[in-house]
Amino acid sequence: MIELRNVQKQFGQRLAVDDLTFKVPAGEIFGLLGRNGAGKSTAIGMMLGQVWPTAGEIRICGHDVTTHRQSALRKVGAIFETPVFYDYLSGWRNLQILSHYTAPTPPERIREVIDWVGLTGREHSKVKAYSHGMRSRLALAQALLPEPELLILDEPGDGLDPEGIHEMRQTILRLHRELRLTILLSSHLLNEVEQLCTRIAVLNQGRKVFEGTLEATKLCNQWVRLRVSDFAAASRRLSETGLITEYRDGRRIALADGVQTDQIVRKLVEQGISVFEIAPEAETLESFYLSLMNEQRDNR
Amino acid sequence: MFYLQLRNELWKLFGKKRTYIGFGMFLLAEIVIILIFRYSNATRWMKRTLENNGYLADQFLSTLTIASLMVIILSYTLLPLYVALVGGDLVSKEAEDGTLRMILSRPISRMRLLGLKWLAGFIFSFVLVLSLGLFGLVFSALWFPADGNLFVSLPGERINIFEAWPGLERYAAAHLFMVSTACTVMGLAFMFSCFNMKPAAATILALSLIMINGILMEIPYFKDLQHWFITYHLNIWQLLFVEKIPWWKIGESVSILLGYNVTFVIVGGTVFHMRDIKS
Repeated sequence: MIELRNVQKQFGQRLAVDDLTFKVPAGEIFGLLGRNGAGKSTAIGMMLGQVWPTAGEIRICGHDVTTHRQSALRKVGAIFETPVFYDYLSGWRNLQILSHYTAPTPPERIREVIDWVGLTGREHSKVKAYSHGMRSRLALAQALLPEPELLILDEPGDGLDPEGIHEMRQTILRLHRELRLTILLSSHLLNEVEQLCTRIAVLNQGRKVFEGTLEATKLCNQWVRLRVSDFAAASRRLSETGLITEYRDGRRIALADGVQTDQIVRKLVEQGISVFEIAPEAETLESFYLSLMNEQRDNR
Repeated sequence: MFYLQLRNELWKLFGKKRTYIGFGMFLLAEIVIILIFRYSNATRWMKRTLENNGYLADQFLSTLTIASLMVIILSYTLLPLYVALVGGDLVSKEAEDGTLRMILSRPISRMRLLGLKWLAGFIFSFVLVLSLGLFGLVFSALWFPADGNLFVSLPGERINIFEAWPGLERYAAAHLFMVSTACTVMGLAFMFSCFNMKPAAATILALSLIMINGILMEIPYFKDLQHWFITYHLNIWQLLFVEKIPWWKIGESVSILLGYNVTFVIVGGTVFHMRDIKS
């Protein structure tokens, strides 16, 4: 559905996106992660033909966006971080205006989508009277009007209150479940990405530093939580015998390749150290992301 | 599809309050000018000129004369301002607000979008010129006789006198050609609005260029080069009030204005096509 191959974008001297390659197959919820300025919005801009790539190839729904933008975007809906509309017009008129850039849209379809996003009864009010949550729903409605197969969401939870974020999350899951949409979600709300996405790519300073499933992020973790009577002695002994490669914080150890926790326990008991708890550290996306960013910083 | 998209552009344009500033100011300015003519000695020079040329002044202090006079004054001052204001807004205001990004996530080509916007700007210019003319006639008719003749005095020309009906025809034809003036100024601002700049900057740049052209054209040293200035061609509609209309001269100027308009669209379109649209 989305394919980026060696994509590069340079703004003057600054390289905003560098050699970005990834694929999003149909039916997936794919997360694009990275701090502000990492290149997420530029990458999305290039996918939508709004930003010209300096090099590389971008294909959306099988079409090259640079050369066949209209064909590529025919079945694409997009939402941007701050939903902006023609405030002086009604929600209904905004939807009419935006949908006609794709194809003539019958009023029944507009009504259906308004109903789907839960704006029925407010569609004829001027947008300037809408709350942020209602604007987000209107943004979703405009994205759904062309009956898309692919939905590109650029920071959709930005500025929403916790209730709004929850609602947005449920809507995205519903879209995926009921309409079988492929969704590309860019966000720095790690919790959202963790609850929604099946696969992620992490960008840092325009470069992709990780791509894989959420499970893979958890597998990356080598840390084991260890609660013993004497952590200093335990970690020293375990290091000497080569069972662990690292220890930190007075409660974490990193197992050497092929070593299992039962070997650790046996060794410690043999050494007369009481073991109260040993368990693999439950890695969250946040801890994975932070360690990835720290690693990137250290590598520089 | 094209009709629907053009209708949408017009909804956007005419849904905004600032689009009506021009209409409002025309109304206000025309009422003030008429009241000054009606209740002051402002018509004294007109009467003197007419009587010195052997005409009965009362026959010419009419709706048509006052309306034409107002139109000439306002076409130099307010008309360029309001068409430039709208032209400068057409693209850059949408880019500034972020709605352009919403539009360009749709499968519409940038050139088609620009074409639609230019056309909406043209329709606005047409309506504005039309209302300038109509407001002028309607308000003049409230205070001056509607059946009088037309007297027009243009700078550098001898006085021009027309009977009521031919005068009305000249008045209508002048407005038709004034559309090309309004459209060119709108097109210039529109071109700047395609660049990565604020709407106000696009409007100010367009007006500055028109003003600089106007000032340079009036410098006596440049008298021989007048036809090289855009403002010379922008004023060509006034020749519709000359007794023997120089059609070749008008045709030449209209062609040059058409050339300017095409150039503005090509330059604006090229810049807009090459631009990155970011939040």
